[in-house]
Amino acid sequence: MENVLSILFCLSLFYVSVTSRVKAYVTVLRVQGIILSVLLMIPFIYKFSIFGIILPATLLLVKVYLIPRYINKVILDLDIKRRIEPTIQQMVFLPIVIATMVIIFLASSILSKSTELDVIPFASGFSAIVIGIYIIMSRKKLIVHVCGFLIMENGIFLFGTAVASELPMMIELGTLLDIFVVVFLMGIALNKISSTFEGFEVTHLGRLKD
Amino acid sequence: MDLEILQGIISIIIILGVAPLFAGMVNKQKAVLTGRVGAPILQPYYELQRLIKKETINASGSSFISRISPLINLVTLIIAAAMLPVGFWKPLISFDGDIILFAYILGLVRFFQILAAMDIGSSFEGMGAAREATFALFAEPIFFFTIGSISFISGFTSLYDIYHSIQLTNISYEVFIIICSISVFMLAVTECSRMPVDDPNTHLELTMIHEVMILDNSGIDLFLYQYSSYVKLFIYAILEVSFFYPFSKQSYLIGIIIFITGAIALTFLLGVVETITSRYRMKNIPQYLLFATAIGILNLLIYTFTK
Amino acid sequence: MFEFSIFILLPLVTAGFCYFIKDLRPQYGASIIVALLHLGLSLLVFLGIHHAQLPTFFSVDSSSKLFLPILSNVYFWVVLVSYSYLRRPITPKAEEGKKYYFALVNFYLAANSAAMLSSHFGMYWVASEATTLSVAPLIYFYRSEESLEAMWKYLFLVSVGIAFAFIGILLLTLSAKGTVLEGQQLFFRDFIRNATKLNPIWLKASFIFIFVGLSTKIGIAPMHSGDIDATSNAPSPIAALMSGSLRLTAFLGVMRIFQIIHPTSSYEFARTLIIIGAILSLFVAFVFMFKVNNYKRMLAYSSVEHLGLISLGLGVGGLAFVGAMYHAVYNSIAKVVLFMMAGNIHGHYKSREVEKVRSALNILPKTGWLFLIAYLAISGIPPFGIFFSEIKIFEGILFSDRPYLLGLVMFFMLFIFINMGKIIFTMLYQKSELEPQTINEEKFELNHLVVIILLVMVTIIAVSSPEILYRNIMNIAKDYGMSL
Repeated sequence: MENVLSILFCLSLFYVSVTSRVKAYVTVLRVQGIILSVLLMIPFIYKFSIFGIILPATLLLVKVYLIPRYINKVILDLDIKRRIEPTIQQMVFLPIVIATMVIIFLASSILSKSTELDVIPFASGFSAIVIGIYIIMSRKKLIVHVCGFLIMENGIFLFGTAVASELPMMIELGTLLDIFVVVFLMGIALNKISSTFEGFEVTHLGRLKD
Repeated sequence: MDLEILQGIISIIIILGVAPLFAGMVNKQKAVLTGRVGAPILQPYYELQRLIKKETINASGSSFISRISPLINLVTLIIAAAMLPVGFWKPLISFDGDIILFAYILGLVRFFQILAAMDIGSSFEGMGAAREATFALFAEPIFFFTIGSISFISGFTSLYDIYHSIQLTNISYEVFIIICSISVFMLAVTECSRMPVDDPNTHLELTMIHEVMILDNSGIDLFLYQYSSYVKLFIYAILEVSFFYPFSKQSYLIGIIIFITGAIALTFLLGVVETITSRYRMKNIPQYLLFATAIGILNLLIYTFTK
Repeated sequence: MFEFSIFILLPLVTAGFCYFIKDLRPQYGASIIVALLHLGLSLLVFLGIHHAQLPTFFSVDSSSKLFLPILSNVYFWVVLVSYSYLRRPITPKAEEGKKYYFALVNFYLAANSAAMLSSHFGMYWVASEATTLSVAPLIYFYRSEESLEAMWKYLFLVSVGIAFAFIGILLLTLSAKGTVLEGQQLFFRDFIRNATKLNPIWLKASFIFIFVGLSTKIGIAPMHSGDIDATSNAPSPIAALMSGSLRLTAFLGVMRIFQIIHPTSSYEFARTLIIIGAILSLFVAFVFMFKVNNYKRMLAYSSVEHLGLISLGLGVGGLAFVGAMYHAVYNSIAKVVLFMMAGNIHGHYKSREVEKVRSALNILPKTGWLFLIAYLAISGIPPFGIFFSEIKIFEGILFSDRPYLLGLVMFFMLFIFINMGKIIFTMLYQKSELEPQTINEEKFELNHLVVIILLVMVTIIAVSSPEILYRNIMNIAKDYGMSL
């Protein structure tokens, strides 16, 4: 079941690397949030406990409801155009993504020989991290950078489940809260940037140089 | 032995007979979803009937290619259809490595169609042929990555054996189902010139791909083309439905049930997709196909690393 | 629980208090009390008089014993001058920033203390991300375009960096597979105890991720750019806080993972990486000192240089490590002095450009002289502390297995000294052609007093070299298994 969800996660990564709409990024974030919370809920199908359901529920709330809603609000408020304005052509970007994923899968299967790990979630999580960084590097719109960052965070989350590290719930909740506040602050900053610089693209940020 | 041959022959007859019905159901589905009454489900049969009555006129500059190509089209597709299992009936042609033959027979169909389109010498049809060739270039890898990985998983290279003998126990087959069915669906949409890639209803030359190539055909030739396009769509539908056979535990009856329900579900799916999507711009189509290829590669990756 | 409430809960509560109280004066009063309590308690812990009992995920170990007083010392003085700083006239647009200043600063204290006291990698991560969140709005204090850009870059870069560190932490769990630590919590002490059993490949990967990720926050090259922008555009007290304590908090994370890696076979690898990062930082500071034309950026590069030096001490080990710990103490104090004086200069000239600041020694005599002295202090002129710690680091490098590094370091530092001096002397002495010379007596403000106290402090600590500081640093060195 973890494998199926991870593969769906990978598909969402492919989608995000071909799409050219900002809204699609938000949708992908939602889908990924759902995938991750389902992933967390799997153990509770067999052994239900109220206490353990808090984390998946919070994840669902933050990653599926609050953050996408907030980003949508920012998009709406700032009247951001729907095109993402990539610096690399999509036709080039997707092969790069594919090549990266091939390398990551290859590397993690080699590594799995020495350490016991679930290759598919591990590699999918890691791919999401790398693709998140690619998105940050190759898009002009700052709001898309935020989405790339969140995709990266989702990847880290998946990665964490793959290495079976069970952080205490308090800390998991803390990380979720941190991420939410980061996005919140970035949203505020974007608001200010759009009113100060009359735009929200990286090209506007060039004042600080040596 | 005799029974198997009989079953194979029945399979082909089913495929050839039901193919227009399938197309009709898709069209009906689409019409209902967009709020129209739509043509009756049997409309494709009427169309074929109409075409067969008409006289064949060939373009003046055309050579024998134009004349033989419709027939080759249909015959090759019938051969392809003969390789596909219906339910758990053994198809007529089944040997190790027939997936390659299957792929290239479909390639041959396309080749002759392109050739015939260019043979007429009309610039429109030449453009359509060029487009078809370009997109075929992107579409071919999808097939090989998808079917190839399935064949890797099962360890067989024959379409029938793959679905008949695949072991569900040692691998998470559900993963492959998801991915393969998505990529084959995208492939089918491309190859059969359905909605997001090509609009079968439009006759605007600038955007046509497939339709433009048969613009100058009429009568029997058009009948053959039209009929083979129905068969082609149904072949891909069977390919898609086949992924679900391994769940049926080798029972003939359940195999047939899966076949019927799968086909009906697929008409519904195609109808929905065609309703909710609009046609892609021409320059975005390679992107779409590349996406499907990516999914195929992902499939192969998963296979390689989960053994 | 008492210590926990002083160190973490009380600042948090005060942050809430400051958020709801609109008047600046009670905010200031509450913050000062909290800072004083924090300073007092952390000094008690440091002196060994008080043994702190902290709840799960928190504990006091030798390194947090040293770093906590550094934080509360810097924090106390910064908060002390903050009120007078906030009363300075600024653009009307920036007025609204004042409302949140003390709330955010208190939140920063809580988060930073939590990060320093955490005994669990997850807790450390959460807390150090929280410090970023608290500092980012403060960078945007002036509401100018530059500060907005700096805030965005800092927030984004550091968030990505911290996310990398989280990957490192996850990889650390992976390295524990198949050992007694499997399925256990990520407590530092368990990992340190069982370090040799960890899987070396994953441990190395974990180190790379944590080091690279946190170096966005420490300001180690090549990940220093966000830090430089932030430090140079933040208001001076915040810049002092960042240079003096925030960078050290991030550095503590690197120290923790280094402590784990120390007894294992991957030690040499980790050392090499840290040394490369450190030398690169010195090199970056060396290069940019030639062309920098903004005196706050110059100070930010100086921070990069000194954090590089501290990391170098960590990487080289032995005596250099001891020197680095001393250096952390002195550098934090000297940086507060420099940034406060830079703030005064900025307050008068309304510009961060070096060209706009002329004959500061005549126009702002007190600030000018103190700035000059602070420059001498940061450049390692005796009798200021940095001289002694740098000598120790140099000695450590000379008697380590890589003595050739010393040549490089000396070369870079010489030119940094010269170029910084050139900029500072231009600011202080060169006459301006445009404005007529008006020698007006500068008022003696609170921050001058603070700066004098701090300069005296850095000298006294260095000259008297208190036994307790030495013992604490030796404890850290012993915990890290440094051979002296």
